Amino acid sequence: MGLGLGLGLKHTKTAVCILSIFHLFTINGLKAEEILRIGAIPDQNPERLNRLYKVLSSELSEQLNIPVRYKPVTNYAAAVTAFRTGKLDLVWFGGLTGVQARLQTKGAKVLVQRDIDEKFHSVFIANKKSSLQKINKINDLRTLKEKRFTFGSESSTSGRLMPQYFLNKAGVQLKDFKGGAPGFSGSHDTTLMLVQSGSYEAGALNEQVWESNVKRGRVNPSKVFVIWKTPSYYDYHWLAQGNLDKKFKKGFTKELRNVFLNFNEKSPRQKKILDLFGTKKFIMSRNDNYNKIEKIAREIGKIK
Amino acid sequence: MKLIKPVSTLLTVLPSIVYIPVLIEIIKGFHIGGLNIIFTFISSAIKPSFNHEVVKSAWEGLQITIAIALTSWAISMLIGILLGVLSTDLFWKSIPKFSYLGKFLKYLLAIPRSIHEVVWGLLFIQILGLNIWVAIISIVIPYSALTARVISEQLDSFEIQPLIAIRKTGSNIISSFITFLLPKLISVISTYGSYRLECAIRGVTLLGIFGLGGIGTELYLTLKSFEFKEMWTCLWMLWLVIIFLEKFIKFSRSYLLNNISLKNSFLISISIFSLSLSLGMSWLYNLNFEIFTPLNFSFLNLPSFVEIENGFKTLPLLKLIFKTILMTFLASCIAIGTPPLLLVLFPGKFSLKVQNFIWIFFRLIPPPLTTILILLFTNPNISVAALSLGITHMGVMGRLLTDNILKQEKSIYRAIKSNGSSKQSATLYGILAPQSNSYLAYGAYRSDVILKETAIVGAVGGVGLGWQLQESLSSFDWAQVMIITATFSLLTISGEFIFNTSQNYWLKNSTNNFIS
Repeated sequence: MGLGLGLGLKHTKTAVCILSIFHLFTINGLKAEEILRIGAIPDQNPERLNRLYKVLSSELSEQLNIPVRYKPVTNYAAAVTAFRTGKLDLVWFGGLTGVQARLQTKGAKVLVQRDIDEKFHSVFIANKKSSLQKINKINDLRTLKEKRFTFGSESSTSGRLMPQYFLNKAGVQLKDFKGGAPGFSGSHDTTLMLVQSGSYEAGALNEQVWESNVKRGRVNPSKVFVIWKTPSYYDYHWLAQGNLDKKFKKGFTKELRNVFLNFNEKSPRQKKILDLFGTKKFIMSRNDNYNKIEKIAREIGKIK
Repeated sequence: MKLIKPVSTLLTVLPSIVYIPVLIEIIKGFHIGGLNIIFTFISSAIKPSFNHEVVKSAWEGLQITIAIALTSWAISMLIGILLGVLSTDLFWKSIPKFSYLGKFLKYLLAIPRSIHEVVWGLLFIQILGLNIWVAIISIVIPYSALTARVISEQLDSFEIQPLIAIRKTGSNIISSFITFLLPKLISVISTYGSYRLECAIRGVTLLGIFGLGGIGTELYLTLKSFEFKEMWTCLWMLWLVIIFLEKFIKFSRSYLLNNISLKNSFLISISIFSLSLSLGMSWLYNLNFEIFTPLNFSFLNLPSFVEIENGFKTLPLLKLIFKTILMTFLASCIAIGTPPLLLVLFPGKFSLKVQNFIWIFFRLIPPPLTTILILLFTNPNISVAALSLGITHMGVMGRLLTDNILKQEKSIYRAIKSNGSSKQSATLYGILAPQSNSYLAYGAYRSDVILKETAIVGAVGGVGLGWQLQESLSSFDWAQVMIITATFSLLTISGEFIFNTSQNYWLKNSTNNFIS
């Protein structure tokens, strides 16, 4: 790699020095071509994610007949910015981040979502040792006052925004938790583990993540249990830039939407995609579905 | 070697007293609920995942991290050296008319280095979006300023009589400067430079935890979903690469020092920087990053006066500052106090070597990961955050200490031991004592780094300026972001002043200097 310099000769050194500087100028830039850039905020581990998006990219590329590149984004704010700056054409957003991205990007359009996303739930879970009981009425969320409580990530719809909304509705403010503030574990899985271990007495997370952990046997029912399931709300969705028709061809956005809507379990590859997303099919969705999320986000201060 | 008063030796061990309140708090909240997870974590260490996909993506992450580190290191060294020379008093002594420029530059450079690379990263990601340059720039800004500071301080600590003499012979400014300065500059660069490369790798790993790609991102994602076997694959690979790199640097440094004349060493340094730069950049290019595409900036609207006023009203600033300072204090004491304590508790050459290797490992585990692990068996509180910050920096401190002791002469130790003292007290007075002043001086500098780094462990219980920054960023509330960043910066600048004063105190009484 060039680091083993010819150290013996006097002039070689000068030559290497000049060459190495020259080398900087000889690398050419990338040729410009229209690529569909898709992105997502990972909720799963990287191995799964790599598989998921590799399959999806090749399926989309084949059906739409354009190059598709997947860009991993691991920070909610980064995903929003990448979308705002046009670095990503199509992003798998959560409810809140999707609204944040859309408000900052003119013309952006909600395309499709999984069937479970139009009736999404969060679950409140508690450690068995916490003396917390199952809750029937929303107002009983007050029993969480003076408990150690954790949300997931700050920007998560199901791990923070909606749980906080329902807590507020029941008259519980963030400062009412033990220690004067809730924790922010950073992810749904972490919330589960920290409540199960007893570090936090209770927490709120995405119902889908809870259930997949139950299926995988990572939930110990003698240690942690669900105390309340929230009413349903709209969550994850694919958000597209408004200029895709201009960038690729007329009617492209519609075509893109149809590709998703037509995914079915007959094609092995499409079945793989659906399985990895944890759904049976994708369904239509629109911007208006998220008006309530926007209103709540404004109340809580996540949108100014 | 002059005899050293035992006071500073004891002072190196003294900070570990904070273990008492920290451990009390941790034990008070201790529970065995997370025991099985901790067990899986530990047992996964000996059987990491060898799954093809996992190894492949870890390897790719590692390449990204190293390529970014190499690129940003080379750029920051070049800029740092230039700025460093320009901010020496020495340089401006030759052009006295403009000496205020030097002073100005020196103070100005305090700002870029007062903000942690992760905070720079989080801010730049808002302006540049997802771009590999975000990571590079976030490292380059603080690192250039840090390098500049070290270089200017080192250069200014030399006697300047020879320079005046050279000038008196009638040679011009540039050439007299080069004749006098270059040899000194080279020796500073060769020692400090390799240390910075290592810092860069750690810095880029941390940036990864916050979503900027590379091995850090892999580490965070695997931990987030509690895939410990996959996490250990990443950790072991990172560890091996760092050890290999260290050996390589050590070898090539001693080879170059022994075989190269001073005149050539300047050329060699320049070649190393430009080679690293081109290697790093073409590596990134080959990894499919658009490193040669022009950046497009998307500037944000500056917040209005009213918005800033509102920000001040809504943020609990005093509380945030207090928690941040408390966290810094606890973490610094843990970081400074533990390595000497272990040295005295477990003396002996073999144990020293073991400790040396353990410290490399500790240094590599990013604090946000440690936080989650510690949280599994204790309740959330500020001690958890302090301990996880402390552990990483304990690794840095411990490594320096053990490295220096391995190099140090054993004569005092043997003399004390032959007098019939125990192994422990011989270690305390014979091994630790000669190191203690410079160790404390370095500790003062570390505390400064820790203060900056509190920015990244705020998530526990939602305390500290770091957490608030994340929250404000994810609400896209620029007024709050501005206030918090400015507060952080002010806090670090005043911290730097205090730590600098104490550092100078320890250095003045030091027999050997291992900061450079």
